[in-house]
Amino acid sequence: MTRVLGWLALLGLLAGLAAGFVVAPREVTQGNVQRIMYVHVPSVLVAYLAFAVVFVASIAYLARRLEAADRVAHASAEIGVLFNGITIVTGSIWGKPTWGTWWTWDARLTSVAILFVMYLGYLLLRGMIEDRERGARYAAVLGIVAALNIPLVHFSVLWWRTLHQPPSLLKAGPPTMSSAIVVPLLVNLAAYALLYAYFLAKRVRILRKEQEALA
Amino acid sequence: MPDHWGFVVSAYGLAAVGLFAYWRRLVRQERELDRK
Repeated sequence: MTRVLGWLALLGLLAGLAAGFVVAPREVTQGNVQRIMYVHVPSVLVAYLAFAVVFVASIAYLARRLEAADRVAHASAEIGVLFNGITIVTGSIWGKPTWGTWWTWDARLTSVAILFVMYLGYLLLRGMIEDRERGARYAAVLGIVAALNIPLVHFSVLWWRTLHQPPSLLKAGPPTMSSAIVVPLLVNLAAYALLYAYFLAKRVRILRKEQEALA
Repeated sequence: MPDHWGFVVSAYGLAAVGLFAYWRRLVRQERELDRK
């Protein structure tokens, strides 16, 4: 099953590249640099998904003390940090030619950086506590608290005046972008979601094997 | 506005490097655990 997910993700990524570079048109205002959106937006949406999974799995762990839920939370946080990191790096690269700066401390960029640091802290916390049960408990609490930052990140562009554009996909009403741009974006989003599922399945299995080896 | 292909290639390239490195790490970790 994991292998199938891996191949599907790879095919999805190739289809996403074709959609982003061949199917999608050159954007009128920004030119071809706008194609960075097809990696930047799916990355942040998958990071949201990963952290939402951490949130749900953390609640499940605290409620039922399910080790499987703890493994899912741990794995998902790690993958979320990866996609969040990609979001920041690609956003910064996109920002330089369009905004004239690699970075600015506006509400969206600052809140997404805080999100990244919080989940990095989550992973560090897990690594610092030797007692596995205690580490899982503390991490679950942090996994729930850190998730409260997700709506803050998403709505920051609506609540405050920022340099960043408003949400492209997760918003009320029909998309304001042309379908020639939305469809390639959705193809890439599906590919990134498949990749997330593949990484999650693989990382959870590794964590289970590690725990079995220690037991 | 100029196309800035260098920025596009850098963004896609760095994302690919990050994803590939993470995948390699997972493969290596699993192989080591299977060997034990």
